[in-house]
Amino acid sequence: MSLLHLSFYSAFALSGLGLAFHRTHLISALLCLESMMLSLYVALSIWPVENQAASFTLTPVLMLSFSACEAGAGLAMLVASTRTHGSDHLHNLNLLQC
Amino acid sequence: MTYFVFFLGLGFVLGGLGVASNPSPYYGIVGLVVASVTGCGWLLSLGVSFVSLVLFMVYLGGMLVVFVYSVSLAADPFPEAWGDWRVVGYGLGFVLVLVIGVIVGGFIEGWKLGLVTVDSGGMFSVRLDFSGVALFYSCGVGMFLVAGWGLLLTLFVVLEVVRGLSRGAIRAV
Repeated sequence: MSLLHLSFYSAFALSGLGLAFHRTHLISALLCLESMMLSLYVALSIWPVENQAASFTLTPVLMLSFSACEAGAGLAMLVASTRTHGSDHLHNLNLLQC
Repeated sequence: MTYFVFFLGLGFVLGGLGVASNPSPYYGIVGLVVASVTGCGWLLSLGVSFVSLVLFMVYLGGMLVVFVYSVSLAADPFPEAWGDWRVVGYGLGFVLVLVIGVIVGGFIEGWKLGLVTVDSGGMFSVRLDFSGVALFYSCGVGMFLVAGWGLLLTLFVVLEVVRGLSRGAIRAV
């Protein structure tokens, strides 16, 4: 694997692990999600450059618009959690009781 | 120049590590900014300047600014920086996972640098990314409208999730 491919691959894997091993704040998990989206954006941008196919340049911009939707929904949940529980600590989201 | 791009790739991984090691969100944002700045520099070195500028303006200037002022809702009285022992433990654990993954996956044996820079491509040609994203308006107009519709829908989703008084999704009061 070329080193630059390894770079975004490992950034994606690290951010995914950071999302899985979340600790206190909901917004830290959302930041890890944003970091995964960033590494996906860079990966999708490199692909048309390597294959010299111009039409695939649409893909990262499209992905960014959908990731903006997802970030908005995540921040809305953050605001709702703060207005309900007073903070965005993840131990407040305990409806599943497991 | 090639090694500078390698340094930008390393900075990208370190920014991702900085977010993943779960410090207080004030410092996680710093990791995300470092990762996106180095990612933009990397894309610039490849010659695709349009997607790099889109990343800067939309991601860094739009979405991260919104995240920064949402972090004010997550205020800690004593925020954990990267010197805190829990964050260092997480960071070292992730570095260990990365190193073991690279060794076990055999990514070091046949290493090559990958795509390198566009140093002398000239300015008098139609660039790859400008002509590609312009297809949004011609061939890809269907996806353009779907994306616009999705963004409009997100506004209403956000409005309904944060609405209070027993009409919202998470509100208990």
